Amino acid sequence: MGERIRYRKLYVLPTRGRSHQFSLPLKESIRIGKRDYPIQLKNDERFGTYVLWKNRKYPVEVVRSGQNSYEILFNDITYNFTVETPFSYRRRRTLTKAIQSPLSGEIKAPMPGKITEVLVKEGDTISSGDTIAVLEAMKMENEIISAISGTIARLYVKQGSTVMKDDPIAAVVSD
Amino acid sequence: MKIKRVLIANRGEIAVRIISTAKKMGIETVVMRTESEPAALYTELADFICEIDEGVAGGHRFLDIESVIGAAHKTGCDAIHPGYGFLSENAYFAHKCQEQGVIFIGPPPDAIYKMGNKTIARDIAISAGITVARGSQGNISHHEEAERVAATIGYPVIIKAASGGGGRGMRIVRSEAEMERMFNMASSEAAKAFNDPSVFIEKYIDSPRHIEFQILGDHHGNIIHLGERECSIQRKHQKLLEEAPSEALNEELRSEIGTLATEIARAVNYHSAGTVEFLLDADSNYYFMEVNTRIQVEHPVTEMVTGIDIVELQFRIAEGEKLPIEQNDVRIEGHAIECRINAEDVQAGFAPDPGRVERLNLPTANHIRVDTGVTEGSVIVPGYDSMIAKLIVKGDNRNDAVRRLKLALDKVWIKGVKTTIPLFRMLVRNRDFIGGHYYTDFLEKEVTQYHYNSYYEEKIAAWLAVRLFIRENWGDETDRYDEGESGQVSPWLLNKRLRQF
Repeated sequence: MGERIRYRKLYVLPTRGRSHQFSLPLKESIRIGKRDYPIQLKNDERFGTYVLWKNRKYPVEVVRSGQNSYEILFNDITYNFTVETPFSYRRRRTLTKAIQSPLSGEIKAPMPGKITEVLVKEGDTISSGDTIAVLEAMKMENEIISAISGTIARLYVKQGSTVMKDDPIAAVVSD
Repeated sequence: MKIKRVLIANRGEIAVRIISTAKKMGIETVVMRTESEPAALYTELADFICEIDEGVAGGHRFLDIESVIGAAHKTGCDAIHPGYGFLSENAYFAHKCQEQGVIFIGPPPDAIYKMGNKTIARDIAISAGITVARGSQGNISHHEEAERVAATIGYPVIIKAASGGGGRGMRIVRSEAEMERMFNMASSEAAKAFNDPSVFIEKYIDSPRHIEFQILGDHHGNIIHLGERECSIQRKHQKLLEEAPSEALNEELRSEIGTLATEIARAVNYHSAGTVEFLLDADSNYYFMEVNTRIQVEHPVTEMVTGIDIVELQFRIAEGEKLPIEQNDVRIEGHAIECRINAEDVQAGFAPDPGRVERLNLPTANHIRVDTGVTEGSVIVPGYDSMIAKLIVKGDNRNDAVRRLKLALDKVWIKGVKTTIPLFRMLVRNRDFIGGHYYTDFLEKEVTQYHYNSYYEEKIAAWLAVRLFIRENWGDETDRYDEGESGQVSPWLLNKRLRQF
């Protein structure tokens, strides 16, 4: 496909922190200072799939991949990346600047479990740090705390609801 | 009386641990197999397996007193080792064993009862001359009463379940405004976890260290301690890393607190192994917390520095033997650190991550001990604790132990479930931890990221994402990547394989 010819590099953006750039065509190595260290993807019975780099094995799993976003488990750490072409990267930056991201959002379940108590109702005003519900998981009661201040626009759970990880608990709209 | 055959009323790594000592001593082992873990390692290692019907509605196999004692009778066991958790601190169970002529490997029922009830234990500690944190006289049943007590001792206070343990039913309250909600949460959690909603209140000691003493007593009135364990690396009151000895104690303080630990044991005619827990504040004031009347998860660090097999002594004490050593024989040599490798997602608030352990490679060396109940292919089931293994590393001193731990952590290879390994990789690089300067809320207060993040590792992961992206979007141009050396696998194939799961 001709599209590829246009791009000289790709950007990798993690959910948080520094972005990474890779020149195309993609080299089979990672550079430290002025030296390139070859990177190999291998698979064997004892270790499963792994990366061999600088004489060390690192376990790797691709947890999720779709569109341009990837979840990769590398050496026991989960990385969430989006891969952007220079074009989509510029567009993305323009967009994020244009939309002054509102402080509204959803409060999500940090882990799977059962809601044992809901401490707010729709229309309530809450401050960041407030407990909105109590989630029982692995026999422990965990408080679900809002990171956002605002009004509860919608409650997705009630007492006794079973939730999976990342299920929305409530939608909060900032004033 | 010599024990010939023992029923191990437990599972997982502690069942495996007890089997290994029993084998060494020539004691036959029987374990209970459950439907949820039919091929667990402990069932493979035991001499005999007792199949348990999963008939009783809602009842948990390892918690059902009748079926556990019944299993011991049916399989001709003369003793029961309860391990930790489950029935290990159930005074009624210990009493029932006695009544039905089975040796309970643990302390007398009366000692379990008194130490298990924290308000009684507190009173006993006070009469043994041990300082306790100021608190309520007995249990508190209503938040208004809690507010009154807290007002007299001053905030912050800690609410604890009278029958509690493991951090459940425990809440720190920093102001009166929080009391009602925290009180009700602690009480309902206690009711669910321990079938007893009783709670009491103590002055909360900010930033203390958790120091516990391993004690051993026999039926002849001899009680000794094996020094302390430092268990201050915790999250939500759950221990994650333990070490022995503690950086916070000198020989004088060790001997002073150790002696008090044996005093409280003596006050309840304790025998078998037990643990007396203390909080130590920044000025080296110590306060009695509680007694655990069982073998602890973290007992291996004590075994590593004393060379004593605590489980062996539990058996020998249960057989009526005198303690083979006196206090002066106990020598602490070197330093040991234990990491609890749990199936938890450190990056998602330590959420349990049950699943199948696809690959498991654990380091071996003279200075390394690994206690585990799982093998490759084992499933970490949601119904039990999430422990995969305990990695215990010994060094000549603490610095040496931390250095060796750092190397050992890089040799742990687990695939299929997320683990607490990234937390320990972070800790061995944390300046305060390396210096031994930490306390029980260290993780919550001083640590902003619970995993070690290496720039180059992230770069490699990003490189993998780019390769996947190229293959998925411009596939035909990059097919050549699939024709790598033999043994290589393309990320595309890898991805496909993973999707099939």
